[in-house]
Amino acid sequence: MADQALRWSMSNVLPSPPGLDIQNVIYSYKIQKETGDWVTVYVQNENANGNGYIFREVDEWRPGSLSGTQINKVIGVGDIPRSLWGDGSIEVDGPGSVYDANVVYTYKVDPCFNAQFDPNCPGYVRPMPAIYEIDLNSLYDVTKDENVDLDRSGTLEQDEENLEENEKEKEEKEEELKRKYRLEKAMTAIDASALFVESTRVDQMNALAQLSVTQQGYYAASMAGGVYNDTVVLADAKLPDSKNGLRNGFAQQLLHQQMIDMQYNLNKTKENN
Amino acid sequence: MIKHKKTNLLGLLGVAALVTSSTFAQAENVPINGVVQSRCIIQTDNAGTYGNPNAYTLSTASSDGGELSIVRFDVSLASAYFAIITAPTDFSSSPSLPDVPTFVGDTTVDAVSDSTGMGAYESNKIEYGFTDKYDLTATGSTWFKTSSTVTMGGNKAFPGGNYTALVVAECIAQ
Repeated sequence: MADQALRWSMSNVLPSPPGLDIQNVIYSYKIQKETGDWVTVYVQNENANGNGYIFREVDEWRPGSLSGTQINKVIGVGDIPRSLWGDGSIEVDGPGSVYDANVVYTYKVDPCFNAQFDPNCPGYVRPMPAIYEIDLNSLYDVTKDENVDLDRSGTLEQDEENLEENEKEKEEKEEELKRKYRLEKAMTAIDASALFVESTRVDQMNALAQLSVTQQGYYAASMAGGVYNDTVVLADAKLPDSKNGLRNGFAQQLLHQQMIDMQYNLNKTKENN
Repeated sequence: MIKHKKTNLLGLLGVAALVTSSTFAQAENVPINGVVQSRCIIQTDNAGTYGNPNAYTLSTASSDGGELSIVRFDVSLASAYFAIITAPTDFSSSPSLPDVPTFVGDTTVDAVSDSTGMGAYESNKIEYGFTDKYDLTATGSTWFKTSSTVTMGGNKAFPGGNYTALVVAECIAQ
C-alpha cells in the first residue's frame, strides 16, 4: 500500500485484520537541494504502542549530491505486527525538500492467527451457543403484583374444569387399555382351548391306532369249527297281504277322494251363486 | 587435487623400490578450478525510444515523444568497479541516409539506493566525450539514464524506416 503525501495515517493505508504483519517498506523520492547543502531525510513510522518509531530510515544527502536525484530503497523489517505501526511520515532536516515520494508496505496475513477464523485452522473449536442464565426472581410476575387485582376464583374454576376434563380423558385411556388387555387375554384362552381340544383328538386317534395294532399283532383270535344252519322256517307257502295295511290304504284313498270332492263342491257352489 | 598428487607420488616410490634396474619419468597436469561470482551486474530497466519532433530530429526527450534509456548497475563490492557508459555516436541500423547525422548524448545518475554513498556519483563522474565514467564506491544499485539526440545534416528529413542506436554500458574492474 502506498501514500503520496509526506504524512499518512496507517489506517488509510493498510487494513487492520488480526494476523497482519508488515514485512518490507519500499520507498522512493527525489531530493531537491543545492549541491553544496547537507540535507537529511527521515522516512519513518511512529510506534503505536509507545514513544519513538517502529520504523525509521535515514538518508543523508551530503554536499556534492545533485538535486533531482532519486533514491529507491527496499527495507526488510521482519514481520512486525500491524498493530504496532503508527502514522507514517517523511521528514526533511536541512535546506531541501523531497518530491515524487512513494512509500509501499508489503505485508502478509496469517489466516489462522485466530484459530476460530476458519474451521480448517488447527485448534479450531466448534462454537457453542451462549445460553444465558435468567434469574427467574427478577422477572415480572403479575400474580405477585400488588397493584393488579386478579379474579382468583375464576381462575380456580377454570382450573377445576380443566382438571376434571383431564381426569376423564385419563380414565378413558386407562379403560381402553384395560379392554384391550381383557380381549387379548380372552383370545389367548380361546386359542389355548382350541389347542387343547386338538391335542386331545390327536391323542385319541393315536390311542385307537395303537389299540388296533395291538389286537392284530399280539392276540391270536380263534373260532370253533362246524356247520351253523339257518334256524328260520317258513310254514306257509303263500304270504297274504296285511289287512291292516289294506285298511290304511283305503283310509288314505278315502281322505284323498274327499279332498278332491270338496274342491269340486266349492266350484259348484260358486257357479250356483 | 594436491592430496591426490601426493598419493600418486607415494605409489611411484613403492614401484621404484621394487624395480631397481630401470628408471622412468611421469608428468601430470593438475587443474585448479575456480568460479568467480559476478559482483557487478548490469540490467536494462528501460530501452530508450526515439521521438521524431520534426523531420530532421530524433530525440529521446519525453517532451519530444521519446524515452530515455535507463540501465541499472548492481554492485556488491564497493570501490571495485567503474561504470562506463557511452551514449550512441552512430546508428547501428537505419535506412540509407541522405546526409551525415549529428549525435548528441549524455549520461546522468537517475536514482540511487544509498544517498550517503552514492549521492555524489554524478558530481564525481569523469566525462570523455560521449563516455561517462563513474566510480562505484558503494554497494547497492545505481540507475543511469542516457539521452540521445540526432539531427540530420542540412536539415534534411530522415527517411522513413527503423532506426537503432546503442548505448554501451560496461562494468570495468578497478
